[in-house]
Amino acid sequence: MINRRRAWQPKMGGPHKMAIGRGAIPFGHDDASRFLPWMLAFMVYLAALAVAGLFILADVTDKFDRGIENTLTIQIPVSESVLSDDRKVAAVLARLRRTLGIERADALGRSEVSDLLRPWLGATAASDQLPLPRVIDVTVDRSKGFRAQNVRDALEPIVPGIVIDDHGAWLGDFLRAVRGAEMMAIAVVFLICLITVIMVIFTTRTGLGLHRETIEIMHFVGARDSYVARQFALRFSLMGLKGALIGIALAVPSLLLLSVIAKNSGIGLIPDFDLTTVAWISIGATVPASSLIAMMTARATVIKSLTQMV
Amino acid sequence: MTDVVSFENVGLRYGLGPEVLRDISLNLEAGSFHFLIGASGAGKSSLLRLMYLAQRPSRGLISLFGRDISTVPRRELPALRRRIGVVFQNFRLLPQLSAFDNVALPLRVVGVKQSEIRRHVEELLTWVGLRDHLDAKPATLSGGQQQRVAIARAVISRPKILFADEPTGNVDNQIAARILHLFDELNKLGTTIVIATHNEALIRKTRRPVLHLEDGVVRSAAGDEDAGTPGDDKPAARLATENGRPA
Repeated sequence: MINRRRAWQPKMGGPHKMAIGRGAIPFGHDDASRFLPWMLAFMVYLAALAVAGLFILADVTDKFDRGIENTLTIQIPVSESVLSDDRKVAAVLARLRRTLGIERADALGRSEVSDLLRPWLGATAASDQLPLPRVIDVTVDRSKGFRAQNVRDALEPIVPGIVIDDHGAWLGDFLRAVRGAEMMAIAVVFLICLITVIMVIFTTRTGLGLHRETIEIMHFVGARDSYVARQFALRFSLMGLKGALIGIALAVPSLLLLSVIAKNSGIGLIPDFDLTTVAWISIGATVPASSLIAMMTARATVIKSLTQMV
Repeated sequence: MTDVVSFENVGLRYGLGPEVLRDISLNLEAGSFHFLIGASGAGKSSLLRLMYLAQRPSRGLISLFGRDISTVPRRELPALRRRIGVVFQNFRLLPQLSAFDNVALPLRVVGVKQSEIRRHVEELLTWVGLRDHLDAKPATLSGGQQQRVAIARAVISRPKILFADEPTGNVDNQIAARILHLFDELNKLGTTIVIATHNEALIRKTRRPVLHLEDGVVRSAAGDEDAGTPGDDKPAARLATENGRPA
């Protein structure tokens, strides 16, 4: 029953602390945003793999860069007698030690050469019947005037047909290719961010359309655009977080599985998938990043769209 | 007295259609109480929409609280709207919110503390006879109850102007009288009231000035003595001189 004895008179208090309050927009009934977490999960999954790939490639670059850039391998073709091969090796070593920029030169034993060939030849590589070239492992100092051509010119008269494989030469091409792949991984991450932004923009716009009536009422009772935008931002940041957690929960086992496969493959050319702590932190950062992107995009979209309303 | 609402040669058309409101000129003084009447389709709701800033005019000048609304930046509209209460014809309650939360909305958007919200909203809903329906969703309330929730939402923040579109359209005479009593009390506290209605009995009973809208034009402003019998072709401009306060 209405109390007719006195009119209701609100007593508005002093300065009020800002409170977000209960959400007035019924996002829970909104089909458009129901699938967004799953789409974001997929994006975060891809982003996590791309970030992991970036770190793996950086690791590969670093290892190759530091490991073999200053080395070269010299192969002495197999001749008719072991004695002759030994003489050629000794002559080549003696000449190398007098060559500018050569820091160290060591001839590999037959077993070491067999080990190098085993990935390609299998058990056959260990056979005594297999004629193996003699290999000299050389460390150079390129800052001291080393030139591969000078070595070639000096050794060719001693051993005709000698093969000089300057790792620095092909490593440059290899590193350029790896760095190209790194740039692609970065581009993929940016592309994923862009697609995420576009998805959030469209979902937000759909949400604005679906909840237009509610937003109008909120405006009529004096809500600022920022108040409406805050509700969308909060909702989308939670969806971003949910999607990211699903995505990362799928990405981590995938990366661990790749690591196991890489380790068990026994193929030396496949890089090591052991990720550093920094790499794992970076992969984990895709979770708050996804939430932040969703939140900021939704907020900006709402603010921009509401300016077109009366 | 200062004018809180002022229209000068206001026209409104939707899209490329004909003008639904033409050459509206009127002034509503602070603390006045007017009824707005007219046949269905006469433009009552459109006029109210212009007044409560839901619509921009196609032409003419509208001032609210002395400010030309065409020059008010968008960021300042919420502050103006917080001084306006609106009771919509179809209530426009948010279906997902309870009666309590619907009424609390105007306080929440301005950041009133939860404890104060609870106190004010419970008090007001009790006053309109909905103490036992605080948690009820609009869909579970009758038309009359929804209407009272809508009215409570419109007055919770003590607006300076209250616009009500058929506020007694879904309630029996007893509830209508109570609602009108609430509006009277608010008016005594200084709130300017404009009520669009078809309820001639209500108009006769309260003896308030009447704005008569016909074919998109305000034809007359009937005073106490002829309330409910509009159509005497008083010029619309004269509306600016009507006080609108009870005798």
